[in-house]
Amino acid sequence: MAEALYDRDITCDVLVVGSEGSGGQAAVNAARAGLDVLIASKGKMSRCGASQMAGADFNLDGRSAIALGLPGDDRDSPQRFCEDLVREGFHLGNQRMVEKYVEYAAKNTADLLEWGMPVYRFEQVHAEEMARGLITSGVKWVRILRRKVREMGIRVLEDTMVVDLLSGEGRACGAVALDLKSGEIVLIRARAVVLCTGGWQQAYHFNSAAADLTGDGQAMAFRAGAEMIGMEMVQYIPATMLWPPMARKSILPYIMMETEAGPFVQLLNSEGERFMQRYDPTTMEQSTKEIVAIAGELEVEEGRGSPHGGVYFALKHLTPEGIDFVWGKFKGFLDENRDKRSEFRKLLPRLLEMAKTEDLEVGNAVHFMVGGIRVNERTETGIPGLYAAGECSGGLWGSVRVASATTQVGAQGRIAGEACPAYINGVEHIEPDKDQLEAIRERIRAPLRRTEGVPPIEFLERMHGVTDEYLRVIREGEGLESAYDELSWMRRDEAARLYVSTSKTKRLNFEWQLCLELENMLLCLEMSTLASLRREESRGGFYRRDFPHTDNDRWCVNTVISNRDGEPSLRLEDPVVTSIPLPAGRMTFEEAVASGTASLKRGEVER
Amino acid sequence: MSHPTINVRCFRYDPETDPAPRFQDYRVPLVEGEMSVQDCLNHIREQLDPGLAYCMNCRLGFCQRCILKVNGKVVLACETAVEGDIVVEPVNASEVIRDLWCEST
Ligand SMILES: Cc1cc2nc3c(=O)[nH]c(=O)nc-3n(C[C@H](O)[C@H](O)[C@H](O)COP(=O)(O)OP(=O)(O)OC[C@H]3O[C@@H](n4cnc5c(N)ncnc54)[C@H](O)[C@@H]3O)c2cc1C
Ligand code: FES
Repeated sequence: MAEALYDRDITCDVLVVGSEGSGGQAAVNAARAGLDVLIASKGKMSRCGASQMAGADFNLDGRSAIALGLPGDDRDSPQRFCEDLVREGFHLGNQRMVEKYVEYAAKNTADLLEWGMPVYRFEQVHAEEMARGLITSGVKWVRILRRKVREMGIRVLEDTMVVDLLSGEGRACGAVALDLKSGEIVLIRARAVVLCTGGWQQAYHFNSAAADLTGDGQAMAFRAGAEMIGMEMVQYIPATMLWPPMARKSILPYIMMETEAGPFVQLLNSEGERFMQRYDPTTMEQSTKEIVAIAGELEVEEGRGSPHGGVYFALKHLTPEGIDFVWGKFKGFLDENRDKRSEFRKLLPRLLEMAKTEDLEVGNAVHFMVGGIRVNERTETGIPGLYAAGECSGGLWGSVRVASATTQVGAQGRIAGEACPAYINGVEHIEPDKDQLEAIRERIRAPLRRTEGVPPIEFLERMHGVTDEYLRVIREGEGLESAYDELSWMRRDEAARLYVSTSKTKRLNFEWQLCLELENMLLCLEMSTLASLRREESRGGFYRRDFPHTDNDRWCVNTVISNRDGEPSLRLEDPVVTSIPLPAGRMTFEEAVASGTASLKRGEVER
Repeated sequence: MSHPTINVRCFRYDPETDPAPRFQDYRVPLVEGEMSVQDCLNHIREQLDPGLAYCMNCRLGFCQRCILKVNGKVVLACETAVEGDIVVEPVNASEVIRDLWCEST
């Protein structure tokens, strides 16, 4: 008897892939319009993805803030916020998307406040010149979304990995998923699909994000024919814990540098030198993230790094009482807001205790994906019925994220949820064709069936070897070419040999899941490398040692990657402009950073 | 430089194929600096036995999906430092799906 194409099937109006900041909002908004919504999440709702880990700060312009009863600044306006975002993103951002971001930032915040999200503070964030940041907790945010999803009776499939999208008559018509607990293949029929799958941070050895972020959404969208934009733009966080293992990947040192404790922090190299004085003598450690990250990497390259490849975060010059004072400030904030986040309550006091006697090893971690699935201001991907919202999408920020991602994901989630009803009206379910289902089933089952080949852990280590060596903050042509050759060879030739090398069980088989994720991470890395190679300049968070200038005359353009017979094919495209003209001229990276960075750092505070 | 090695005794059980749960011992080298129970499990999965099933997501105490019994006490694996030998079990052995992962994980 022929093997079944799937083990179970489910039908819904809208499939939302990913359950967190963007997915939760998309689902709630589609359901508000009376649609039958199904969420599929690789993890458990409110316990996965990047959203739970966010600080979190939600941005909105001063006037909209005042309208919501928050202490906003009335000199501010939506237009002014847009201008800042476009300028600080070095003009690659899609201005229509930026306008929508600002408009929906307020709507998303209104939703969250109505649903009970606490407000800890309203203050200046992201070096903005005016207070535009509502400070809350990521954990509380995602729990509030979960409660709302439950209240509305939205169905959620947890621990379920969507593997590929289905299309028919040129439209998205569902997806095929793997139930990780049972190993069953699930066919999901949907009239529209919203991808809310987050980034691909796990493709990099040293990253700050959660384990489920492996670029599945970007890769499946690409396979389905959608385009990617700005894939070379990867945001690193300097001052992420490298060592000891238990604290590894925590961004607490960086968070501290952003608070009142910031001016007390020194970054040292292995010779005990405050190396920032050679890179940015005026602002030192308080320079921009990008400059601090580049400086740290240069120190490591020149042999002045720490044993695990970073630099030192030092507070030792403060007295122990001074360090206790810093902790007291944090603790006061946590107590006041009854915030129980373990990273703050447990890890932070331990790190501060350590910092009294030794310097902490910190490094540049991959943190946020600026580029992703190309969408327009309505979150449409170009494939009818396929939407992408949140961090998996690209085009909003341009070359560096300069404001809140939590706002982005909520705003875009809501936009996507609102777009579904109008689209779905008149669209019937399409029965997926057998060949498509069979090809996906084979892709899923192959690594389990193979009895020899490359074990996924070995493959992962090799892939991380490539990212560690070539896909760092500082990039250059030769290294990028080596990375590209290696990654594209791994994807085309080696990935077909991935196999589950130990237990062949279908239930909770880590190796099996990793095999599927590796194909996606590789594809994202390859596209990111291709775009990095093509961009022969430095801009925002993107730095090429061999092209250190920001070149507005040639490079104020976006990289767009489309799927040509299964292979990534790159073209350049002008940014979408509505009201803010594109700049001209060529300047050094440092000059560009100084001109782009928010007004506070440019010393232009209005009084 | 050689580092002390500890014994990690792990609960193993596949209700579909195993007649009964068993324990498996793994030797895990401690590195200099604090290591968590989760670091030990990761070492096992990456270097010794990729077949071991357990859950983790954020590594930093947010998701609470790494909840386990360590030396008889219910803890979060990513938050719990390791000093010597440990015995690792699922929080609820009666509802195990596989190894350290149970229905309520
Ligand atoms: C440590 C940390 C701190 C941060 N702090 C801040 C901050 O203070 N302010 C700020 O603005 N931003 C911050 N960010 C960034 C911000 O949190 C994220 O960009 C944002 O939350 C992403 O939301 P999302 O909904 O797009 O994706 P995520 O929250 O990452 O959710 C992705 C979802 O997709 C699911 N998924 C993935 N693949 C599949 C698949 N194949 N099938 C089914 N489901 C899948 C995941 O399981 C998850 O449910 C931080 C990020 C990190 C990592
Ligand atoms: S892995 Fe998330 S709490 Fe331990």
